[in-house]
Amino acid sequence: MNWFTLSMPPKDISTNGHLIDGLWNYTTALCIFYFVLVCIGLFGFSFLYSRKRHKTPYYTYGNKKQHIIATAVIGAAVFLTIDLNITRLASNDLLNTFWKYPDPATEKVLRVEVLAQQWMWSFRYAGEDGQFATADDVVTNNDLRVPVGTKVLFHLTSKDVIHSFFVPNVRMKVDTIPGRVTRIWWDANVPGTYDIACAEMCGNPHYLMKAALTVYTEEDFQKWMKTSEAMAKNTNDPDNKNLAWGWKWEI
Amino acid sequence: MRRSEIQHGLGMTMVLISGTMLFATLLMGYAIYRTSATAWPPVGTNPISLGFPILSTLTIVLSSYFMRKVRMESGDLKKAKMNLDTTLVLGFLFMGLQTLFWNELKNSGLLVSSGIFSSVLYGFTWIHAAHVVMGLMSLLWLRFVLKTGTRNLDVKVLNVEKFWHFLGVIWIIMFLTLFVL
Amino acid sequence: MSGGFNEIHPEPTTFWSKYIISFDHKVIAKQFLWYGIFFLGLGGMMALLIRWTLAYPGVPFPLLGNLMFPDSAGVVPPDTYAMLFTMHGTIMIFYAITPILIGAFGNFCIPLMIGARDMAFPMLNMLSFWFAFLSGVVLLISLGLPLGAAAGGWTSYPTLSTIIGQPGLGQTLWSLAIFLFGVSSTMGAVNYVTTVITLRAPGMGYFDMPLTVWGLWLTAILNAIFVPVLGAGVILLMLDRVFGTTFFLAGASATSGNGDPVLFQHVFWIFGHPEVYILILPAWGIVSDLLSFFSRKPAFGAKATALAMTAVTILSTLVYGHHMFTTQMSPLLTQSFMTLTMTISIPSAIFFANWLGTIWKGSIRFDSPMLFSLGVVFVFGLGGLTGLHLGTVTTDLYLHDTYFVVGHFHYTMAASVLLGGYAGIYFWFPKMFGRMMHEGMAKIHFWGSMIGLNGIFFGMLMVGYGGMHRRIYNPFVYESLQRLIPINTFITISAIVMGLFQIVFVINFLYSLKKGPKATQNPWEVGTLEWTIPSPPVHHNYDVIPVVKCGPHELGNPNLKTGRDFQYQTEELVQG
Ligand code: HEA
Ligand code: HEA
Ligand code: CUA
Ligand SMILES: [Cu+2]
Repeated sequence: MNWFTLSMPPKDISTNGHLIDGLWNYTTALCIFYFVLVCIGLFGFSFLYSRKRHKTPYYTYGNKKQHIIATAVIGAAVFLTIDLNITRLASNDLLNTFWKYPDPATEKVLRVEVLAQQWMWSFRYAGEDGQFATADDVVTNNDLRVPVGTKVLFHLTSKDVIHSFFVPNVRMKVDTIPGRVTRIWWDANVPGTYDIACAEMCGNPHYLMKAALTVYTEEDFQKWMKTSEAMAKNTNDPDNKNLAWGWKWEI
Repeated sequence: MRRSEIQHGLGMTMVLISGTMLFATLLMGYAIYRTSATAWPPVGTNPISLGFPILSTLTIVLSSYFMRKVRMESGDLKKAKMNLDTTLVLGFLFMGLQTLFWNELKNSGLLVSSGIFSSVLYGFTWIHAAHVVMGLMSLLWLRFVLKTGTRNLDVKVLNVEKFWHFLGVIWIIMFLTLFVL
Repeated sequence: MSGGFNEIHPEPTTFWSKYIISFDHKVIAKQFLWYGIFFLGLGGMMALLIRWTLAYPGVPFPLLGNLMFPDSAGVVPPDTYAMLFTMHGTIMIFYAITPILIGAFGNFCIPLMIGARDMAFPMLNMLSFWFAFLSGVVLLISLGLPLGAAAGGWTSYPTLSTIIGQPGLGQTLWSLAIFLFGVSSTMGAVNYVTTVITLRAPGMGYFDMPLTVWGLWLTAILNAIFVPVLGAGVILLMLDRVFGTTFFLAGASATSGNGDPVLFQHVFWIFGHPEVYILILPAWGIVSDLLSFFSRKPAFGAKATALAMTAVTILSTLVYGHHMFTTQMSPLLTQSFMTLTMTISIPSAIFFANWLGTIWKGSIRFDSPMLFSLGVVFVFGLGGLTGLHLGTVTTDLYLHDTYFVVGHFHYTMAASVLLGGYAGIYFWFPKMFGRMMHEGMAKIHFWGSMIGLNGIFFGMLMVGYGGMHRRIYNPFVYESLQRLIPINTFITISAIVMGLFQIVFVINFLYSLKKGPKATQNPWEVGTLEWTIPSPPVHHNYDVIPVVKCGPHELGNPNLKTGRDFQYQTEELVQG
């Protein structure tokens, strides 16, 4: 494989990741366009107007009318293509998608509580009773499993220092901050196993703080959930302070 | 105005802008703590008694008054020295009152490490006090210079005065926001 | 009349007062230059250690490895790696680039270019250097501590940087060092601002100042306003660490925590974003001037360039939140920060257009300062444009804390600012030391660095887009990142190339200092004030304070009858 393909981001498995990729491509295309312009000027002028080829410089302050117009046109072009358009597209995506957190009351949503700590990810599912911070919660460490095609809504916090919940395959990350709860949602459409990484420096073993994301088909997920719930009922120890880190789910 | 006056005035203005930014940052932090806290002071904290802070405020205001008189009467060196001495005494008194205040806080059970409320109280007054120490040092220097004489005396008096007023103003703002509000 | 106001002081005679506790801005500039080059070398060595670890995890560092890490058989251990990038970032930004661009050029160029005999407050200037020196010593001491130096990243986010994450003394000393450096910067800034406003030679309006001075002046203003913000932040951090306050502590691990770790991020970036422009404004200024000088024509739209830089300065205070998109600020703030961030591209585009307009139809001399300036246009194009991907909230959700960010800021700082600094060194070396640098070696240095740094930093952009996040000791514990090994190796090789070519610079510098041909008064044939006096200038710079009669970029005027193609700023503008 050539380096160009190697440096493409990992496979997009979510419904909305393409929005981010699309905007990236748009921005990059614009950047290439402007950078090529800069290069044409830079190398072209350097070639054409070197001392050898061009003995007498053109004496101007660049304040003639046509000069000012040219500069203004460049400024306006940048404003229109870069500022206005990128900002608009990004705002649309945020308002219509990324900030539209799914509502468990009205649609099918898997809710997960996430606790980051040095240097481990813990995930908590509500369990049979649908309530968090109860004895039948299903808790896993460094192991997140979600059903395919279902929106997953995460509430995240951290026990000690700031971490960042990064799932490259859905193109999203969010910081986990001690003392507050952040949220993020995404869905995964392709069954398989993927990486979850901690993206914020959190101590020397920061690089080891990875977790696995497993995307199951609906049946597999239900099967796994059933066994886990059963296991949770038998083994969960409500007095164990280390395991009982959950909190009541609030919107 | 003479050029050197402009120069030193400008220099002092820049110093004061920097100082203002430092304290503004602290106050911004305070605003955030205060607005995001459920209760301020936190439940279970005894209200702090305002005795020493009020005395401190009076002292520093009074000292600013005498500092101002140093320049107003700098024609008369003797009077100027006397006013400066009064400012100095009041300045040290301010530091003394602050120390008493910290002691009082400590005795009332509010330690530096008892949470964000006491962090703000101690931390901010400490940082202000550190600046007062610098102010006192420049006052002492000015006292020395008054005795030995120097070029540009009035410019120097003016600058030290500005710095001293600045400390007073910051204290008043801190007093109003941290203690009264 | 007081200390600094354009009087002729007697020249100091003892070694001590001449070279150590010197009040002379030219000597202080040289002190800062040596200081900066020393730390540039140190930071660069750290970068090579970082790069080695990333390309060959678990392989001992060649030659010096066993010496430095005897316990791990020459392999960089993970805790050292964290210290390395923390110190690399800190050193490069505060102790290498700031002293060279602001300390050295600021001190050297401002008084000379505006026709003053010294800074407004020479004593403050001396203190500014020695505070910086003290700060550097504190930082170096922290490198030798048993528990090691600070290792929380140059951003030192709490709660990692509080006792919870960094129990050692290193982080405390780091905060102290940064605070001292802040004091030094603020002193310098007070001085620069006052000097530019009050000591301009008679006749010199603001738009008659060279753009270098504009850049340095705007930098100084930003410094005076925003460095104290960081000062407040690190004081609070120190209180948290030493006295047990809880300003930045929260969460289950904090025993009595109900502070706010994110507040530190706000404070840090309120300072931190202006800081990156603090670093680059002098470089922009230098480049704007040099492009004009070596194209032998007036700077295109000089006024617009100055105003665009001013606009960036103002805007830079309003965009800091783009470093914190992933902390989930309120939607309103997030969107405002994105919009304002994007706005910076407009003034940037305007001075880019002016730069290109300057070389357009010029008569370009490709001396080394010019090569470096043209290099800046190239690399800042890349660095600035990649900022757009990061300023966009949605793409930043993916790119934040990946090597894409690392690539972006190395392109802007380690490429643009560094090359701008080199351009300045090659350009003013004759005036500083009275000798010319070796042109051939300078060109080798330029082309080698261009190849090296583009290899490094473009590679970083690639692996970053590929999903590799930053500050990781061994990226290849992630299977999905193993495909990036070849690119990482390539980056490391480029870094070694870059490093080797910096040696050419050091040799050139030291050699020219002793053996370079004597410089004439005006080797580059330009008309700004510093070239009207001998190289190096006498102690008090100007025997007679010059009177300015025209702008700084009067080159290529066809009406000139003097046989020169430029005129000095002290000459009446020749009109047709
Ligand atoms: C000198 C330093 C410098 C400079 C100049 C810049 C310039 C810019 N930076 Fe950068 N940045 C840093 C240093 C710098 N940055 C550092 C150090 C960090 C990371 C710190 C850390 O986390 O450790 C960072 C991080 C950073 C982030 C946070 C990323 C993240 O952590 O997720 C963002 C996000 O918006 C950003 C944006 C920008 C933008 C929009 C600009 C703009 O100013 C760029 C404007 C320029 C242009 C847009 C190009 C010019 C225009 C053209 C070429 C148009 C065409 C013209 C013609 C055709 C004539 N930067
Ligand atoms: C202006 C600032 C600057 C400069 C110039 C550089 C220069 C370089 N940087 Fe740096 N870098 C930062 C600022 C800078 N960097 C910052 C702020 C960070 C973030 C830190 C953090 O995450 O907290 C960072 C982080 C950073 C990382 C990421 C670490 C991580 O996230 O894990 C990497 C990795 O490759 C890197 C590499 C390099 C390389 C290869 C160079 C090369 O360009 C270096 C080449 C130069 C040399 C090799 C010098 C050689 C000099 C000599 C040989 C002369 C010797 C002279 C004497 C002895 C007097 N840097
Ligand atoms: Cu957790 Cu990095
Ligand atoms: Cu920024």
